[in-house]
Amino acid sequence: MHIVDGALSNEVVIAGGVIAAAGIGWGLRKMDMEKIPAAGMLTATFFVASLIHVPIGPSSVHLIMNGLAGLLLGWMAFPALFVGLLLQAIFFGYGGVTVLGVNTVAIALPAVLVHYICSQGIKSEHKKVAMFWAAIAGGGAILTTALLVTLALALTGEAFLPAAKLVVLAHIPVMIIEGFLCASAVALIHRVKPELLRDFSPVEGSLKNA
Amino acid sequence: MRNLFLTAFMLTFLITTNALAHKVIASAWTDGADIEGEVGFSNGIMAEKGTLVEVFNDKDEKIGETVVGEEGLFRFTPTQAIAHKFVANLGAGHVAQYLMAANELPEGIGLKNTEPPKEAVKAQSDIERPIIGEEKLTRMIAKAVRKEVQPLRKEIAAYKEKNNFQSILGGIGYIFGLTGIVFYIMARRKEKSAP
Repeated sequence: MHIVDGALSNEVVIAGGVIAAAGIGWGLRKMDMEKIPAAGMLTATFFVASLIHVPIGPSSVHLIMNGLAGLLLGWMAFPALFVGLLLQAIFFGYGGVTVLGVNTVAIALPAVLVHYICSQGIKSEHKKVAMFWAAIAGGGAILTTALLVTLALALTGEAFLPAAKLVVLAHIPVMIIEGFLCASAVALIHRVKPELLRDFSPVEGSLKNA
Repeated sequence: MRNLFLTAFMLTFLITTNALAHKVIASAWTDGADIEGEVGFSNGIMAEKGTLVEVFNDKDEKIGETVVGEEGLFRFTPTQAIAHKFVANLGAGHVAQYLMAANELPEGIGLKNTEPPKEAVKAQSDIERPIIGEEKLTRMIAKAVRKEVQPLRKEIAAYKEKNNFQSILGGIGYIFGLTGIVFYIMARRKEKSAP
C-alpha cells in the first residue's frame, strides 16, 4: 500500500505533499490534550500493524489500521499517521521519504472520511449497531486508501481501471480482517471504556472543561 | 465456464499480491559484450516474462529497451560508453531501477562488433593450443562466480527485508517520545493561557 520513491511524477508528489501538510496543520490545530495518549497509541498500532502480514497464496499483504485511527482521532489522524509513515520509511524502508506526502494523504484522508461517515454510528447505544459501523469504517478506509493509491498512480500514467481492480481485489482480505478488528475494538471500548467514544468525537468541550 | 472465471480470479489474486507486498530489487552486471541484469521482488519472486525494461542514458533520454526473459533476467547490448539506467515498471507503483556507471560497462564497447568473431574463429581453429583465450576464461570465471554468489545475493536481499525486533521497539519508542513532547508543548501552552 505504500507507494515507493520514483513511481510518481513530480506534480503528484508535490500535490500530495501540499495536501498532507495542510491536513497535518489542521490536525494539529484540532489537537486536544485528552486525545494525545490515544493518538500516540494509535500511531504505534499503525506502525506495528504494517508488520503483520496476512498470507495470501505465496505472498502477503499487510494490515494498515487507518480506519480505527480515523474513528477515534478524526483530523488528528493526519499528524498521527504521518509520524507512523515517517518512522516506517526510516526504519523499514516502506515507501520513501519523497513520497511521504502522497502516502500520508492516501492513508490519512480515508481515516478522516470514515470519521465523518461512521463516528455517529459507533456512538450507538446498541453494541451491534456500533460494531456494524466500526466494521464499515475499517473496511471502507482500506477501500478508499486502495482507490487513492491507484488514483495517484493513474495521474502518473498507469491506466486507472485495471490497476484499481487489481489493487482492490488484492486488499479484499485486508478489508475483511480490518473490518473485523475494528468491530472488535469498538466492542471492547463499548464494554470497558464507553466514554472514549463519546468524549472523542465533538472536538470542543474536554479541554475547556478541564 | 464458472470454473475458468474462478481460476482467473484466483490467478489475478496471486499475481497482484506478489506485486503489492514487497520491495523491488534490480541489479545488472556485464556478460561479455552484453549487460545482463535481473529484476524482481525481494521475496525471491522474479519479474514476469515479457516485462518491458527501458534503458535511459544519464540525461534521462531513452536509448533502448529490452524485455525480461526467464527468471527475471534481461539482456542488453550497449553501444555507447555512457552510464546506463535500467527502468522496469512492475505495476502498482513498483518501479525497479538500476544505474550502471560508464566504468562498469563491458570493455571496449566501440570495438566489440569486429573483435569477438575473429577471436572465436582463432580459438576454434587453433587445435595446437589447448589454452582457452584469456577473454573467454575471464568470462567463464565471471559466470561461475555469479552463479555461486546468486543464492547469497538473494539471501542478503531477503535479510535486508527482515525487520528486527530492535527497530520495531525503536519505532515505538520514538512514537511515545513524540507523544511526550506534544504533551509537554500542550501543557506549556495551557499553563501560559491560564492566568
